[in-house]
Amino acid sequence: MDQIVPDMSMRSLQERAERFGGANTVRNVLIVAIAYYLGAEIAFLIGTLSDRIFAPFWPPNIVLFCALLITPPRQWWIYIAAALPAHILAELRVGMPVSQFIVAFATNCLVAIANAFAVQRLMVEPPWFGTIRKTIIYVLITAFLSPAFCALGGAFVQILGGGSLEDYGLFWARWYASNALGSLTLGPIAMICIESTTRPRLAPAGRAVEAAIVAALLIAACVVAFEDLPSIATGYLPLLLYLPLPIIVWAAVRFGAKGASGAVFVISVALIWRTLNGPSLFDIGSPETNVFGMQLFLIGLSPPILLLGAAIEETRRAERTTRESEERISFAAASSNVGLWQYEFATGTFWATDYCRTLFGLSPSEPLTLDGLVSRIHPNDSPTASAALASAIARAIPLDVEFRVQDGDEVRWISVQARPVAGDDGKPTAMSGAFGDVTSRKLAEAEADVQQQEIAHLMRVSMLGELSGGLAHELTQPLTAILSNAQAGKLLLAKGNKSLSEIGNIFDDIIAEDERAGEVIHRLRSMLKKGDVKHETIDMNDLIASTLRLLHSELIDRRMSVSFDNAASLPAVHGDPVQLQQTLLNLLMNAMDATENVPPARRTISVSTATTDDGGVQVKIYDRGTGLPPLREHEVFQPFFTTKKRGLGLGLSICTSIVKLHGGALSLQNNVREGASAVFRLPPPLD
Amino acid sequence: MGDAGFTTYLVDDDPAVLRSITRLLKAGGYKTKSFSSPQKFLSSHDPSVPGCAIIDLVMSELDGLRLQEALARSGSQRPIIFLTGRGDVPTSVRAMKAGAVDFLTKPVKRDALFSAVVHAAELDAASRQKRQESKSIDERLATLTHREREVLEHVIAGRLNKQIAASLGTVEKTIKVHRGRMMAKLGMRSVAELVRLADRAGIAPARSDP
Repeated sequence: MDQIVPDMSMRSLQERAERFGGANTVRNVLIVAIAYYLGAEIAFLIGTLSDRIFAPFWPPNIVLFCALLITPPRQWWIYIAAALPAHILAELRVGMPVSQFIVAFATNCLVAIANAFAVQRLMVEPPWFGTIRKTIIYVLITAFLSPAFCALGGAFVQILGGGSLEDYGLFWARWYASNALGSLTLGPIAMICIESTTRPRLAPAGRAVEAAIVAALLIAACVVAFEDLPSIATGYLPLLLYLPLPIIVWAAVRFGAKGASGAVFVISVALIWRTLNGPSLFDIGSPETNVFGMQLFLIGLSPPILLLGAAIEETRRAERTTRESEERISFAAASSNVGLWQYEFATGTFWATDYCRTLFGLSPSEPLTLDGLVSRIHPNDSPTASAALASAIARAIPLDVEFRVQDGDEVRWISVQARPVAGDDGKPTAMSGAFGDVTSRKLAEAEADVQQQEIAHLMRVSMLGELSGGLAHELTQPLTAILSNAQAGKLLLAKGNKSLSEIGNIFDDIIAEDERAGEVIHRLRSMLKKGDVKHETIDMNDLIASTLRLLHSELIDRRMSVSFDNAASLPAVHGDPVQLQQTLLNLLMNAMDATENVPPARRTISVSTATTDDGGVQVKIYDRGTGLPPLREHEVFQPFFTTKKRGLGLGLSICTSIVKLHGGALSLQNNVREGASAVFRLPPPLD
Repeated sequence: MGDAGFTTYLVDDDPAVLRSITRLLKAGGYKTKSFSSPQKFLSSHDPSVPGCAIIDLVMSELDGLRLQEALARSGSQRPIIFLTGRGDVPTSVRAMKAGAVDFLTKPVKRDALFSAVVHAAELDAASRQKRQESKSIDERLATLTHREREVLEHVIAGRLNKQIAASLGTVEKTIKVHRGRMMAKLGMRSVAELVRLADRAGIAPARSDP
């Protein structure tokens, strides 16, 4: 919000300035003129109190400066023109000669213009005392450069009034001190008042009371400190000077720039009052010298106080900015279904945005702790997810896991991503991460999975349909053996054959053949079944052998043969046997289809297994058939691409996704001489 | 129950099926020889032994139809019964056209198998008898002299001895002697019998002189 408010306040300042130039200009001009005149009167009043010496500061300059500050430069002339009659009126009342007050007015205008111009250019916009940098600029320009320069002319006012040219240095110094003091004591509080009007903020009653107490205490401290009490030995004077200091610090710490500028103002007023009204701390010599000493004291005292206020303001603003940006990030995170968290290694403290409660279903009353969140993880996911989280935090390594959270009846999928945060020395000091609600993505994935399973299943059914002739024969063989055995046995018994050993053999064969038929049915059923994806340890050689048995009759029918070169000590793979068998079957049937119309000598398909470099398994299906269509090799994996008359064009697409699902890769390319080779690799099991 | 010496030759490359059908045939009282390889069957085949072949149509080494062709090429006329896993019409038509006795679908029932075997045995016996007869005729024909053979061809052409003598440029008496010897050698008692024999042996009657 801080980035926005200055803009607004500047805009409102300018808006007000526009109003100055509009219907309200006359009113504003009057206000400025009256304020200018009153400021001069105050200066004279103070001056009068001290035997008509030169005023210790000159409030009209501050009035003019403030008017110019909030006005665009093209309208400045209006306010300078408005100030002129007020100036003439005031100076004439004290009987200042025309030449003197013209030079005085000119230098006054010059210093106000210089200050207003510099502040508008360099400090740009309120809050003017919000940062140390701006405050330094203000002090440098308005309390040193600009008055020092303008005093070159201002010094002539007194010379014109009869002063000796030899005292030019002294006159310069007095003129300078008077303007610098005004800039340091009246300027800041006036500017802060202007700021506050553009950004009216009702202070809480407590703050107002505290401000009043601080002001009262400061006034009291000043009265005590600056009063030359007879009871106090002069040796203790430095001590007295320090008396207001704690209260100044209090004001600055609690109220920032406002407090600091207010404190400066109160001290200045109190000190000027005291100095002008008789025995003061600055009892140096002539009243002029005493006042000059007091001016220098205040010029020296004010900048540090203003800087302290600015420093406090800046710190507070930085804190607020941080807090607000945190809140903004939290809000942004929450609105994108993300909860942020951080875990400090050194202290073990856990911080998380409130949205984490929503994600994990924690009620607002429950403490937001890491353990509290972990306890909400679904029992099925809890062991792995907790272990991953603990291990990532313990070893300060990046984390990316997904788990379910049980929130009443609702189950949510949460993803957590975290990374270590390096400290100044490069070592990780904290773990910073985000929880995200990925339920909708998970549901979509699950749905896609189901559809993929459906398609894979349909493809299996369709493949087995193509193989039905061969598969029926696979069943017919054992059934034939069983029937013939049984009939032979019956016949033997009918003939009174008493050879029990032959009957025993018959029964043995019947049992064996029944088992053989059962195996065929089992293989078929697992291929036809629409089951969940299984995760089993698989011997690829066994799986290939079983697939080839399924194809046995089909191969004979098509007058084809398959050679199987199975690698010894092939590592196991992990996955779903049905899906992998489907892939094998599909690739083999593709090879068979490609081999159908080639001469008998080429109708041999070679299947081989091998161990890959990374300890996984490679399966190669090599045929000497017609090969892939030239220049379209890359298209074969696209869904609905087919070279067959009755093909759906989904086989290879399904095979690819099955192999991918197993973390592997499938490739298909033409051989150098003839035919094509399908190769798929599966990674070694994770554990 | 076949004749003595009648053997069923069973060829199937599925050992379990081979064993079970062998068992069934033996239980049915048939002398059975079983082969798990069509090549082994071919190489050890003796066509002279009466019997039939029961062959699986679908075998990886050499399928049933080709085995049938190979048998035919080797001159064997052994009747063949095919066994098949499926009722494939075009294949069965081809098999039957090539002379298969029967085409049985697995799993084959005892009665169907046995009746096919019985039928095959009858066919085998008939063809063997036929071959035996023609063989003895050929042997008897071989004993005839050239002149006797000429006389035979004229006799079955329905010519009189006088006409034959004129054709062959000899006297009727000589023809009578040749005719008598020829009839005796062939064991024929009438011309009608002789005509049937000549027809069976494929002897064409002599063309009449112009």
